[in-house]
Amino acid sequence: MSTDKRITLQHAAEIIKDGSRLTFSGFTIWRRPMAIVFELIRQHRKHLHLIEVQGGSHTEFLVGGGCVDIWESCWVGHELYGKYGANLSRKVAEKKLIVEDYSHAEMMFRFAAAASGAPYAVTQTALGTDIHNPEYDMLGRAGLRDGKRIARHKYQFTEDPFFGAGSQVLVPAAKVDIAVMCVQQVGEEGTVRVNGQYYSDPEAARAADITIVMAEEIVPEEYLRRNADQNTIVSFEVDHILECPYGAHPTGMFGRYDVDGAFLKEFYGRSRTQEGFDDFANEWIHGRNHLSYLEKLGWPRMLNLKANSAMNYAPREKKGGK
Amino acid sequence: MSEFAQPEQYGLADLLCCAASREVGNNEIVFAGTGLPMVAIMLAQNTHAPNLKLIFEAGTLDGRPPELPTSVGDARCEMGASRASGLYDAFSIAQRGYVDLGYLGGAEVDQYGNVNTTCIGDYLDPELRLTGSGGNPDINSFAKRTVFIMVHEKRRFVEHVSYITSPGWRVKKWPGGEFVHRRELYGAAFRGGPSAVISTAGVFRFDEETGLMYLDSCHPGKTPEEIRDLCQFDLDISRVKGETVAPTLEELRIIHEVLDPDEIFIPKVKKG
Repeated sequence: MSTDKRITLQHAAEIIKDGSRLTFSGFTIWRRPMAIVFELIRQHRKHLHLIEVQGGSHTEFLVGGGCVDIWESCWVGHELYGKYGANLSRKVAEKKLIVEDYSHAEMMFRFAAAASGAPYAVTQTALGTDIHNPEYDMLGRAGLRDGKRIARHKYQFTEDPFFGAGSQVLVPAAKVDIAVMCVQQVGEEGTVRVNGQYYSDPEAARAADITIVMAEEIVPEEYLRRNADQNTIVSFEVDHILECPYGAHPTGMFGRYDVDGAFLKEFYGRSRTQEGFDDFANEWIHGRNHLSYLEKLGWPRMLNLKANSAMNYAPREKKGGK
Repeated sequence: MSEFAQPEQYGLADLLCCAASREVGNNEIVFAGTGLPMVAIMLAQNTHAPNLKLIFEAGTLDGRPPELPTSVGDARCEMGASRASGLYDAFSIAQRGYVDLGYLGGAEVDQYGNVNTTCIGDYLDPELRLTGSGGNPDINSFAKRTVFIMVHEKRRFVEHVSYITSPGWRVKKWPGGEFVHRRELYGAAFRGGPSAVISTAGVFRFDEETGLMYLDSCHPGKTPEEIRDLCQFDLDISRVKGETVAPTLEELRIIHEVLDPDEIFIPKVKKG
């Protein structure tokens, strides 16, 4: 048992090397490890291969920051604060990024396979769609399917050999080097307690070779072990931990703070061009650290996002006036 | 039954929301996407379908949000839920066959109900990359019925979509890509398909044998011929039933006073 898993934000980003296959906690604009994402952009990480159940605002930052070569997933955008991924769209048009499209359930089942040590998953989804168009195997077209780091095939069809249920799709396990998680609580030995929907976090953490957990707070391990049934990720699945309050901002965190919609809307608007992205990154990312980022956001903005501890979100109707 | 609203009392989004809400029956299990569908389902829950069960894709099962969630990952989803978990649960339950109805959207639709949310133009050299599939093909593959809510423009109701993201009634059989009936591909997993498209012009349904779309009702002020002209394919208008039923005053009250008072998804009609 490693006695001290604590690392710094800077070190967390340094563990992620150029070319790493990376995945994340969260869902679209919720519980994304933004502080580490910003640090990766600061450190000019390159050639990342993102494999995600679905993308979100963090994807858009990494892609706009020039950190990503390959994106294997199914969706990107900022929900109602930005209807598509402007950075990803731009890089696809410029052919600076390879996109491998799967369906959402296929991606989820790919992670479930990887998390259980199986080489592939079987499903009946998306039959008859262009997701299975053999011409649209983009990693294959790029000659990258080496059968080691990247699966030999995008998918395979098979017939159900057991019950005669017809066509089945086999999709390769989502093998990733590193999972970067952003959660409410982690214990000193790595036990994770996620509050609220845990999305695809358990599978992501288990699938990865290295799991980094950034938490709102590091708590005594024994506190989490008093109610082991409420914990989400096992201590020994976690390699590194760090405490980073508001590390998910501008994405939201159940029970702690809501999504900063105004921030995402502004980012979406400004990042529709590369110049706009660079300008935004210069304002909010480069030349800063997490504390100076929070300082720039300011107390009033953060208080407005603060979740009510009984309701777990920030009610729209504010009590006691604005 | 509350009285129907007059045309000046509601907007197009209200009409779409109410039409969508009427697609769901009581006791049904419904997969909810972000946006207008969420309001439509919660409207049904507040009117004719109090026992419907809601699944949010991010992992909330039988949720009863007291305040409108802005997305399915929202902390609001799981207030009062039977279980809050993750996507593996949501998709497993869907693939297992629990889901009666799913609400979806799209950028383009063809006459078989194939929907595109991936890109405009050639996939290998796209004019515009869109958000991608999300759960659209999954919900559409697993649910017994799906309802699409779409903006109606001629460039969106097309002969062939740029990319089939989500399967309609006649889909591509790989590796050749020839169109076959969905039943043939899905085998034992066949449960149904798109049951309605609710656009800003009218409501469309599908002949489940031929797989072809037909016009079911026209929104107030639109004629069948006008709507046919708004499609690039030859829309069947022979089965049209008449006008889309207007929202009731009670439905409008629930939408604007209870569900979406902040106009997050449905704008209020401005009093002139």
